[in-house]
Amino acid sequence: MAINITINGKQIEAQAGQTVLQAAQQNGIEIPTLCYHKDLSPSGNCRMCVVEVKGLRFLQAACVAPIYEGMEIQTRNDKVVADRKMTLEMMLANHPQDCITCEVSGECELQDLAYEYKAQAPYWGSKGTRYPVNSDPNPFIRVDMNRCILCRRCVSACAEIQVRNVWGVAHRGFDEQIVAGAGINMLEARCESCGQCVAYCPTGALSNKMNYGAARAHQVKRVTTTCSYCGVGCNFDLLVKKDKVIGVASNANASVNGLALCVKGRYGYDYIHHPERLTAPKVRRYLVDGTVKPKGHHDVTTGQPNPWDWVESDWDTALSFVAKKLKNTRDTFGPDTIGVLTSAKCTNEENYVMNKLARQVIGTNNIDHCARL
Amino acid sequence: MSNNKIKYKPVDLHIQKMAEHHGSSAEATLEVLRDLDTENNLTPENITETARALNIPAHQAYGIATFYSMLSLEQRKKVLRVCDGPVCWLKRAGETRSAIDLAAIQKGDLTVERSSCLGLCDRAPAVLVEEEQAGPVEAEDAIKLCEGWRGTPTDYSKPRPGEKRVMTALIGIVDPDSGDSALKHGVYDGLKKALQQEPIAVLTEVEASGLQGRGGAGFPVGRKWRFVASEKRTPRYIVCNADESEPLIFKDRVLIDTNPHQLIEGMTLGAYATGACEGYIYIRGEYEYQARRLELAIKQAEEKNLLGENILGSGFSFKLHVHRGAGAYICGEETALLESLEGKRGEPRLRPPYPPQAGFRGQPTAVNNVESFCAVPHIIKNGAEWWRNLTDDPTPGTKVYMVLGHVRKPGLFEAPFGLTLRQVIEDFGGGMLPGSHFNFALCGGAAGTIVPPALMENHIDYSSGPLKGVTRDIKVMDKRWTQVISMGAGSFLICDQTVSPVNFLRELLHFFASESCGKCTPCRVGTWRSLQILDQLTAGKSTAGASDELKTLAELMRDSSFCGLGQSVGIPMLSALTHFGAEFARAENEHEPIIRG
Repeated sequence: MAINITINGKQIEAQAGQTVLQAAQQNGIEIPTLCYHKDLSPSGNCRMCVVEVKGLRFLQAACVAPIYEGMEIQTRNDKVVADRKMTLEMMLANHPQDCITCEVSGECELQDLAYEYKAQAPYWGSKGTRYPVNSDPNPFIRVDMNRCILCRRCVSACAEIQVRNVWGVAHRGFDEQIVAGAGINMLEARCESCGQCVAYCPTGALSNKMNYGAARAHQVKRVTTTCSYCGVGCNFDLLVKKDKVIGVASNANASVNGLALCVKGRYGYDYIHHPERLTAPKVRRYLVDGTVKPKGHHDVTTGQPNPWDWVESDWDTALSFVAKKLKNTRDTFGPDTIGVLTSAKCTNEENYVMNKLARQVIGTNNIDHCARL
Repeated sequence: MSNNKIKYKPVDLHIQKMAEHHGSSAEATLEVLRDLDTENNLTPENITETARALNIPAHQAYGIATFYSMLSLEQRKKVLRVCDGPVCWLKRAGETRSAIDLAAIQKGDLTVERSSCLGLCDRAPAVLVEEEQAGPVEAEDAIKLCEGWRGTPTDYSKPRPGEKRVMTALIGIVDPDSGDSALKHGVYDGLKKALQQEPIAVLTEVEASGLQGRGGAGFPVGRKWRFVASEKRTPRYIVCNADESEPLIFKDRVLIDTNPHQLIEGMTLGAYATGACEGYIYIRGEYEYQARRLELAIKQAEEKNLLGENILGSGFSFKLHVHRGAGAYICGEETALLESLEGKRGEPRLRPPYPPQAGFRGQPTAVNNVESFCAVPHIIKNGAEWWRNLTDDPTPGTKVYMVLGHVRKPGLFEAPFGLTLRQVIEDFGGGMLPGSHFNFALCGGAAGTIVPPALMENHIDYSSGPLKGVTRDIKVMDKRWTQVISMGAGSFLICDQTVSPVNFLRELLHFFASESCGKCTPCRVGTWRSLQILDQLTAGKSTAGASDELKTLAELMRDSSFCGLGQSVGIPMLSALTHFGAEFARAENEHEPIIRG
């Protein structure tokens, strides 16, 4: 059902059931938000998105205020702007003034809004001296609650997207604080280090530990790619600095996964430049040499060439060894002596092809998949 | 990190049993935590176990345990709570606190804590020893208090001259702990009459009476009940807001203490009119005595078939429960109350939907104040016309008022609306104390207006309050602030020349800063910063521009806060700054600590 409303004097046709924010966004009118995120249920607690509605006593939070017929909204008059600016200053009063060393500087929503509204950090306030810096031993997620503005997006993200319910709100009033579980560390509170809270945090309160200090937002090139770990096909951005991958960031346009990633996708990127990473197939020396498979197993490093050594090869050579061995085994001992185990890292198509190989080429039904948990 | 490191371990048996005792649902979280607190066992491990037993996330249980002020993760001995509210401050509760601290060191078996307000304003300075209410406790009474002395409750059995008693008529006449006595004195007559009628007739009668909610906002009770009754979804609920946690207000405690059956009757009538089948009385944790009195009264009423299944053979059934809070002013806000009743942190909900559409458990719910329910039996018994004829004021009926501070006869009285401050002080309060002359009054409640002598002759009712006719026009608003007097919940704290409005406002902000829930930014930081400015002003360490900053903070909190708590903190601030701007300016410029008289 269409509803007629007025935003900043402009007649707008919106849909019943929309909030002021949705109606405004649909019509290209910008309203600043902090605690609101389109993926999470709105809570209306940061008060950044306040707007003035004619006839209503108090300012309304646009992210939660439903529209009604004839509603007259002002999104940017003096009163609204002044209140937003002051609310920002309330946040900045208890936020450390450490943008210069903060890892999210340049991609921080609080920083952007403070700049836009020319909000100054007041001379009073705790200035981020209340909590220990880097307070959680989680190996992937860096926690600095001094920077927290209590928007609660981490709480919603953990509860609604990952459904782990690690983060919660404790204490009250000025002492209110975001805590993991019953005030314990994250891993003990059932955290699986997916980093969803980091992706949704609008400030540097929750950030990534592994690439702390590696690069500023403006120094990295973002390369959108598909995660190589499993067949779900999550999209994300590799953060590349000087041809080196220094991290992974959620990509808001990812159609499969949105901002969500798992611990492997988000934090398991260090294999890319790992010195021990395999970059070419390797074959045992005795196979290359064409000698007989030696008895026993070697675990002694003698420094001398050993028949068990891995020798770097190419795909044609390596695969021909595999094919030869498989064929030999099948012909000598029968196809059911061979089993095939595929991987969750493969796509459906790849798994299908493996299935054809097992059943039709090798001739066995011994095929399974590592994700059978 | 890997699953094989987490060993399965069954839930602690003791906590499992506690949880089962309270119904094993998430709604029982506060009860289980209260039990653990009583055992001095509120540790993060036990909180996590509680969460497991109730199948909720651990952070939720921890959030609740750290939200309510009566619960503590510290090891405590016998807990003695000294009231720290503005009324007790006026009565020198600071000296009482120091004396009690000393006595506690001597005794050794006591833990002394502060409380934002105990609801014992007529017994200020007040103390709560475990669940026993005590007062007035002067500094010299500290040792006596530790040895079992509790002071004397105020006696309201004799009406003051000029009172018109309806809801308080049976004080001292009816035995509050006897169902027979209640029946003998005509309590439940209204219910008996109503059960002969259709529910819609009862609803219409309440609407016709024009009864306005007595919690402070003055929303018409009949209209609220009509909303609930017209909702198609069932079950519907009736909830009584007995979380009276605002400084200056203690009428609900007196109403429950003197005549609990009147409240039960009122709620049953509400249920009948709205088609509700279950009701909850949300009573603040500090009112343990009153909670037990209500539980006894409910039992008596059930035995006499005035509650429960098929009431008096009418086919109408209504089940009533008592639910205890655990120390949080914000839980008096109706949606925060409902959250708390559902076993969550008492944080206000988004509105809409309003409770009549989606309240307790998401079902249609009527939330009303104790006094509002107490008025209903009389309206049903005597008719809406009679209720309207009790007064000439446009606001119908009578109101239970409270007068406190520097008057000869502080306490509670019942009278029609439209009184002036002069009447409150002279006619009902017995005049100012010898040597005192009127300086200002805090009207309504802690979130009310601070009023100077110039407004002594203004009539006070819901339409004289600060929320009517609010516009964005600053000139109009500035003018309005010079005129408004809050009705609020009907309390008046009278202060004489010895009390500086600056000092007094500091005490109010101390209360609000302690009780802000922390959900929204303006209230969380605004109350804290306002208190800091007022601390500096009263200590003579203020910087220039303090009053202006207070005004801006007050306006920000009023306009941008999430709920009524934050929105109303600005009321005493703005009225004090309007009327006593000179005093604030002097405090700002003179750099002298303000000595209280």
